[in-house]
Amino acid sequence: MKKIFIWLGFICFSSQALDVRISDERGNAIVGAAVWLTGSKWQATELQENKVYSMGQQDRAFVPHTLIVPSGTLVEFPNFDSILHHVYSFSKAKSFELKLYRDKPLAPVSFSQPGVVELGCNIHDWMLGYILVVNSGVYGVSDEQGIVQLTLDSSQLGNAQLNVWHERFENLDSPESKSITITQTTQVVDYQIQQTLLDKMEFLTDDTDEYE
Amino acid sequence: MIQTNMSKLVVIAFAVALLSECTQAQEVTGQLNGLVEITATNTSEQKSWLRQGWGVTRFDADSDVLGVSRAVLSGRMDFSSAWSAHAVAQYVPEPDHKLGFTEAYIQYQPLAQGYQFSARIGGFYPRMSLENPAIGWSSPYTLHYSGLNAWLAEEIRTFGAEFELKRAARRFRSKHDVSFVGALFKGNDPAGTLIAWRGFIPHDRQSVFNERVAFARVKSLYARQLRFQGQYVEPFSEIDGRFGYYVGVHWSYLKRHSLRAYWYDNNGDPGALNYTTKQYAWDSKFWSLAWRSKVSSQTQFIAQALYGNTAMGPRRGVNNDFYSWYAMLSHTFSDYRVSGRVEQSKVMDKDTWTFDPNASLTNGVTLNVSKTISEAWQVGAEFQFIDYEAQSRPVAYLPLGLSEQVWRISAQYQF
Repeated sequence: MKKIFIWLGFICFSSQALDVRISDERGNAIVGAAVWLTGSKWQATELQENKVYSMGQQDRAFVPHTLIVPSGTLVEFPNFDSILHHVYSFSKAKSFELKLYRDKPLAPVSFSQPGVVELGCNIHDWMLGYILVVNSGVYGVSDEQGIVQLTLDSSQLGNAQLNVWHERFENLDSPESKSITITQTTQVVDYQIQQTLLDKMEFLTDDTDEYE
Repeated sequence: MIQTNMSKLVVIAFAVALLSECTQAQEVTGQLNGLVEITATNTSEQKSWLRQGWGVTRFDADSDVLGVSRAVLSGRMDFSSAWSAHAVAQYVPEPDHKLGFTEAYIQYQPLAQGYQFSARIGGFYPRMSLENPAIGWSSPYTLHYSGLNAWLAEEIRTFGAEFELKRAARRFRSKHDVSFVGALFKGNDPAGTLIAWRGFIPHDRQSVFNERVAFARVKSLYARQLRFQGQYVEPFSEIDGRFGYYVGVHWSYLKRHSLRAYWYDNNGDPGALNYTTKQYAWDSKFWSLAWRSKVSSQTQFIAQALYGNTAMGPRRGVNNDFYSWYAMLSHTFSDYRVSGRVEQSKVMDKDTWTFDPNASLTNGVTLNVSKTISEAWQVGAEFQFIDYEAQSRPVAYLPLGLSEQVWRISAQYQF
């Protein structure tokens, strides 16, 4: 009987998600916000820590634009373009540079220090990407509706620190955070960003921008 | 002849590949890209200027109706984070299977957190145009470049050092990219010769280093005053020992609207003459203003204008003002790109040497459709109408004007 209840509990709650809805001061949904939970119950699993994450360069853009990884993990930088990319970061969390050719992949880079890593390309200086290194195993990036679905199980109910970051923050090294209490795995949390976001930077580039 | 040149290409490709392999052992990395373009075209009965004729099309009766119209090999080697070497070699079949370098330079571009300083040293194109961003300075829009850029391709090249200071938008979280460019160079003294004795013509033939480019046997060059001038130009040669310079500014807004403004002055001493090569230094200077606006992610508008003066001879016996402009609209949908361009170029004779009329007027319309088949293959079809008149033609008992219609179908393989 006890096993049946455990199974029922697993079916009901295991793949449930905490929905975090991100909005700006005026209540508009914010796409591209990074959200993660910190606290003892939301640490990265061994599986997450052993995974090699990927920050590609495709059509002269970083793909994905924002990548969240647990601290201590490895990230590879595959170049899907036929041209060279010279990827670099001067960020405190990780400073590095790689000259990347499509047919010559380099060894993955280790990201051990939590923080925001801003990526650029020294050849295509409009390219911009972010790696958020977090002390967490529960994270996501908001979609067009401003929603991040964080998958939880019933053992992860309790008090958590909700962290929110967006590339349009004035200070990229200061995520916003808020204490929340998760009482059920299907809970919806609304989070309104506390600062005025900088203007959107919608660069329009294509293959004719190569000759710079 | 074709076999000889193809084997030359293969040897160069092999040598570069070998060099690339060798240097990898010393942690120098490199990349080799290339392009082979096959063209089927109608050919003009008027002999091309490249064969000392009065024609205004690249392909004449001596050209292949179907054949390789260009081969490009573009190499890059990275020696360190900041230093890299670049070279572009090109092959064109006319007039006599030309193979050579169109660019070769060392680049210094260190990583920068704020303002970006970079430099190029060697032989290269100034970056005043927005029409030729593809491999080997070719155009992704049309097979034939505008007359403006065709002239830059045949007579303008920097052999010196170029410096750039850039305020890249992204690094400053700004919407505006701004950069200042300046260069000092030698050579390029005879630039302007083709403007005087041929005028502007839309084509896609780039001169290689040390090349001698022919033009029609204009009658005035048989006159006493011009007897030391050869009936050709060696556009990149050094005649007067003086430095030339150019300065430019690039600006763009979110990469949607781009502007490039340049002042170019080869600072030529028009009295300087090399009796051996029969080349004068021309005092050539011009403004270039290039504009590009992406109306949407699919449609863009590009325009460019040159305005300047070129003169040669101790008392500026040949002295011409000139302008050239084009406007182009290009639209992509699915795997297709459709481009249309109109252009006009004019050379205005300012000197008193009536035996040497230099005035010319060129109008052109170019329409192109291209389709990308795969990452490697692209096919295209182009129609070009050229309406040309030159005051030097009646002196040679030819009609003042000449009109040409060029049809061209091409297949390009890139690697």
